[in-house]
Amino acid sequence: MSGHDQREPEAELGLLDATMIGMGAMIGAGIFVLTGLAADISGPAALLVFMLNGVVTAFTGLSYAELASAIPKSGGGYAFVREIFDDFGSFIMGWMLWFAYMIAGALYALGFAPNFLELLHVYGVVAPPDQVGAVILPLLGVGVPAKFVLAFVAVAGLVALNAASTAASGSAETVFTIIKVSILVAFVAFGFLSAGGGGETSFTFQNFDPLFPEGSGAFSILPAMGLTFIAFEGYDLITTVTEEVENPRENIPKAIFASLAATVVVYLLVVTVAIGTLGAEELAAAGEAGIAAAATSFMPTGLPVIQNGGALIVFGAVFSTITALNAVVIASSRVAFSMGREGQLLQSIGQIHHRFGTPFVAVLLSAVVMLGSVVLPTQSAGNMSSLFFLLSFIIVNVAVIRLRRERPNMNRPYKIPYYPIPPILAIALNGILAVVLIGFLIQTDMLALLLSAGWLAAGVVMYVLLNKYRARATTGEGTESTTDQPAAGGAEED
Amino acid sequence: MTRDIIIAGGGRIGFQAAELLAARDENVTIIEEDKDRITEIADAWIATVIQADASDPDILEQAGIKYVDTIAALTELTGLNLAVCLLATQLADGIRTVARVDRETDGAYDRFVDAVVYPEEAGARVVANQTTGREVQTLAAVTGNIEILEIRVPKGAPAAGRTLAEVSFPAGTLVISGEDGSQILKPETTLTPGSQYVVAVEPDVVDEVLQLMHG
Repeated sequence: MSGHDQREPEAELGLLDATMIGMGAMIGAGIFVLTGLAADISGPAALLVFMLNGVVTAFTGLSYAELASAIPKSGGGYAFVREIFDDFGSFIMGWMLWFAYMIAGALYALGFAPNFLELLHVYGVVAPPDQVGAVILPLLGVGVPAKFVLAFVAVAGLVALNAASTAASGSAETVFTIIKVSILVAFVAFGFLSAGGGGETSFTFQNFDPLFPEGSGAFSILPAMGLTFIAFEGYDLITTVTEEVENPRENIPKAIFASLAATVVVYLLVVTVAIGTLGAEELAAAGEAGIAAAATSFMPTGLPVIQNGGALIVFGAVFSTITALNAVVIASSRVAFSMGREGQLLQSIGQIHHRFGTPFVAVLLSAVVMLGSVVLPTQSAGNMSSLFFLLSFIIVNVAVIRLRRERPNMNRPYKIPYYPIPPILAIALNGILAVVLIGFLIQTDMLALLLSAGWLAAGVVMYVLLNKYRARATTGEGTESTTDQPAAGGAEED
Repeated sequence: MTRDIIIAGGGRIGFQAAELLAARDENVTIIEEDKDRITEIADAWIATVIQADASDPDILEQAGIKYVDTIAALTELTGLNLAVCLLATQLADGIRTVARVDRETDGAYDRFVDAVVYPEEAGARVVANQTTGREVQTLAAVTGNIEILEIRVPKGAPAAGRTLAEVSFPAGTLVISGEDGSQILKPETTLTPGSQYVVAVEPDVVDEVLQLMHG
């Protein structure tokens, strides 16, 4: 035998790679797409929004670290919950997490489109994004905004890629993440350098005064936190590749904390610069392309090759949204695939394709929802995915507590310090944000709320139908076992 | 679909068994008392570990005895293994029990457990093979790392009803013989649902091959 220390000889991702996977998934679209929207809701306090969200997420990060170190499964949140929750509990967790990733995919595609148009505009290929006319679909003869067409094409392309090949992730992700972070560092450096330049958009702390928008006050940061919560989603993806990480019992918790900490620092610097230069109002006006707009205002021009320094940041936004989109295409299909393998969705969803070796059906199903969702307003997509991540993170924290109570003797290489305070705080804080977000949706975005409720209702119907179908299959054949219990999901697809 | 398995005793036998089962994508929970052994198992990333004595009913319940398909008691102590299997049968209806023994039992325990394993004998056979030379060898000793699996292809598996040429198996796979075991498969042979096939697989890709052929 090949020795006892590692199960798979191809274990090759070090601590740095694992950290970069987490950072890469987080520093994707959230910061580029949602900064403008957060500034719209809470003004300069958007800075506080990102900081507090980092703190809230860190508590759930502790829970992920404990679960990932104790349960050797690559399925992420769903696999952990499956370990301790009954059939329905784990089904609904998987169902929500699947949706959260799919809607996040739509969000990233919607963030990609305007930034891509902006990039084309910088080089004079097309008119400014808001003036780009509709694209006339040749067969239907109707005009569709270019933004939707682009978002649609981006999703379809990445889905085709992931349906037909098991492209290498891991090491490539490290390079991508370093590129993304370098671009943001350049943004921050030039932003601070512009201070005292006397220009209209030079960095100044006067832009932070008053911190809170008039009228709504300090409480305006709560709905903004709900909306931007998604920006810190991604460290959980580290737990979907644990099998490939060397010494996972130590490196996974470290990678979760390191990626979260680094991401918080990067976000705070970026948001500080964006508000300090452009000001919250203009940032809000630029919406999904907020960071790009800020960059164009102060980055140097006349550089060789890229000409306009702002284009570098726009490129960063395009690159980040597209890599983040790729990550959630993989993540969403992985959740569906795990559920299929555990017998919680149709069997064919949990099977790999006989030719491509990919979870083909799971990828295609996820694609259908993602493609359907790109017609949503960006803000609705952000609200919905944030809401579902909040809800599923609550369940993950409950799973930690239940496992501690029901399996006190389970070996836990990493234990949450000051247990049970962190998971209880996480449940409470995520719960508050979820309630505030729902309240905010009732006032401003009934569409997102109805769609969310609709997805949950569809889940319940699906669950009942699937159990009926399986019960009939059992009585028909009499042999096939339908054992379906709370035990972890062996969700690996290599 | 994956199976759920408890292994009582994470010593050398239990560890190796867990490693092979995890490579087949099964969910394994190991019950083990010794701290050093537990660290080694945790490093290998193959199973959830409960740190305790497996003969304690509460511990078996923590390990999820009511929901698992099989329990294999693989400690060095035959008596303890039998006790664990009997406890398991009491706690969970229809559970499959496997007990490790340390001597030839001649079916003495067949009424109480579903299967008896005698690893020392299997090991001794390998030793005998190696000592006497290369002319006659049992299969286990010939193959080294490669696993020779007999896989039944159920209806609805990704590879069911397709020819070998249509299915892209991962590198390190060789489908050898099938159906009645009397012929070597050709690329145009169809994998008939419900039939058994003998497949040689390198350890790394066992789970993927099982996903293709078994679903």
